[in-house]
Amino acid sequence: MESLETFVVEAAIESEQEFYRKIIEDNLASLKLAPAIGRIKVVLRPEDSLFQMAIILRDVGTRVTTIDIADVEAKPLASEVMISIKKEQYIPELLGKLWERYGKANISQPDRWTVAITTDKPAEEAAFLKEMMVADPRHRLHENLVDFAIRATPEGFRVRYHLYKGNRFVFVASEEALKQEWIEEAGVMLKELTEGGKN
Amino acid sequence: MVVLLPYLYTGGVHKHGLLIELMEDLGGYIIQKVVTGIEVNLIMLIPEKDIDLVKKLSAELLGVLLEAPLTGVEIAVVSPTLASHHLPHSACDIAEYLRHPGANTNMIGLARGMGRRVSLSMDYERKLINEHDIAVFTFGSFSDCITKKKPKLFEGIEIPIVVTGGPVELKTEDVPGADLYIGNIGRVSHRLRRTEEINALDNLNEGVSKIASEIRQQQAKDPLAVLPARVMKEIENQVPEIHRVLSPAPLTLQLNGIRVKLPYDEFHEKIEKLEFDEGVILSELANISRSKMKNYILIKIKSKSDVGFAI
Repeated sequence: MESLETFVVEAAIESEQEFYRKIIEDNLASLKLAPAIGRIKVVLRPEDSLFQMAIILRDVGTRVTTIDIADVEAKPLASEVMISIKKEQYIPELLGKLWERYGKANISQPDRWTVAITTDKPAEEAAFLKEMMVADPRHRLHENLVDFAIRATPEGFRVRYHLYKGNRFVFVASEEALKQEWIEEAGVMLKELTEGGKN
Repeated sequence: MVVLLPYLYTGGVHKHGLLIELMEDLGGYIIQKVVTGIEVNLIMLIPEKDIDLVKKLSAELLGVLLEAPLTGVEIAVVSPTLASHHLPHSACDIAEYLRHPGANTNMIGLARGMGRRVSLSMDYERKLINEHDIAVFTFGSFSDCITKKKPKLFEGIEIPIVVTGGPVELKTEDVPGADLYIGNIGRVSHRLRRTEEINALDNLNEGVSKIASEIRQQQAKDPLAVLPARVMKEIENQVPEIHRVLSPAPLTLQLNGIRVKLPYDEFHEKIEKLEFDEGVILSELANISRSKMKNYILIKIKSKSDVGFAI
């Protein structure tokens, strides 16, 4: 699936449709979500105070473990584990986890590519660290998606329904109590998106 | 009575003191002086017959002298709430653009202004908005909301109301209660910088300037007992504490008054007893009250017909 291969915004008045398309584009850009979204459809019905959105996500990668982003080496003589970073983008998450496990006092960073951990059992710890999960892009994606949905929705629509399952995301928002049929309509939109793709 | 015209001077800091001295000699007023690095912006009121002198001097100083029709106008830019849906774009962009022609703008976010059925404004908010000269309401992109639901926020607003929104095809008369509607400035999540957006902002400035000049014309029929700019100058001379206020505009001019950014309890007596050369004090010429904005002092100058004389 290409990113944003389907991007549909529907509203009764054409100019309003364009305004919302622009708002959605801007918010996707500022949350860096565009590469993660395959197909998106938004329906606006201001007269009913209703906003519906269905999204099919692209494959966003799997969990990242330490071995994916760094080389881990045990140094029994020095009672140390050396981590040589290969991909810098996950350093904040990695350091967070390391601080939690070993304490800040036991961790030093001689340079930006190296993290040294002082420990009594270097061999076992190195084996553990290799398999440790550093980051889960799906978790971050979920946070961003919800943030995106709230930013794109008109502000007064505070009654919200959202569903996030696998690569499917449905969001319905309104000012009034949500009707079951609105959620069902969003479900139909999602189904159309699933079938209407090129794959 | 001398007719004063508002102008904005932009130029280098070097020798700009000459301009301030000239203004003192001519009997004009410096409303605001902003020094940024080596550049200075002076907002001034210049006596009509002496404009040429000032133009000549500003040309000598290699500065630019522009008309600033919104000088001495305090505008409330009212957004439904202060949530990220409206800020910084478009509400801040609108407020910033209105400052180009010399206006002082205050941004007001209503506590519960969002939504269609649920939007409302509080008494306190309405009073705060009414302290200004003109209110600019920044609405969204749905014409249904702008024409049918949002106008209830105008209830109790006594000053002229300007509305901005997305739909271009709406007319002013479609928005009940509004004095002017400007399209193409709806809800956006990016900085307003495309041609049609800047055009819309220019339209807004033009429309607001027109409303301000209408208010001035109405006022000319029954002039104020004293010019707000003159009160400003007297406060600067007689209340030295004003020079230690860090707000960008410690004395904010309005079309019919002035906002003094000093605490009310401590300073209101001093302001009330402000003396003019003619032997009158300010409390004879104006109503002085506690502003709804923080704890400031609000001076609303009475008209000549109320007081019986003008100075």
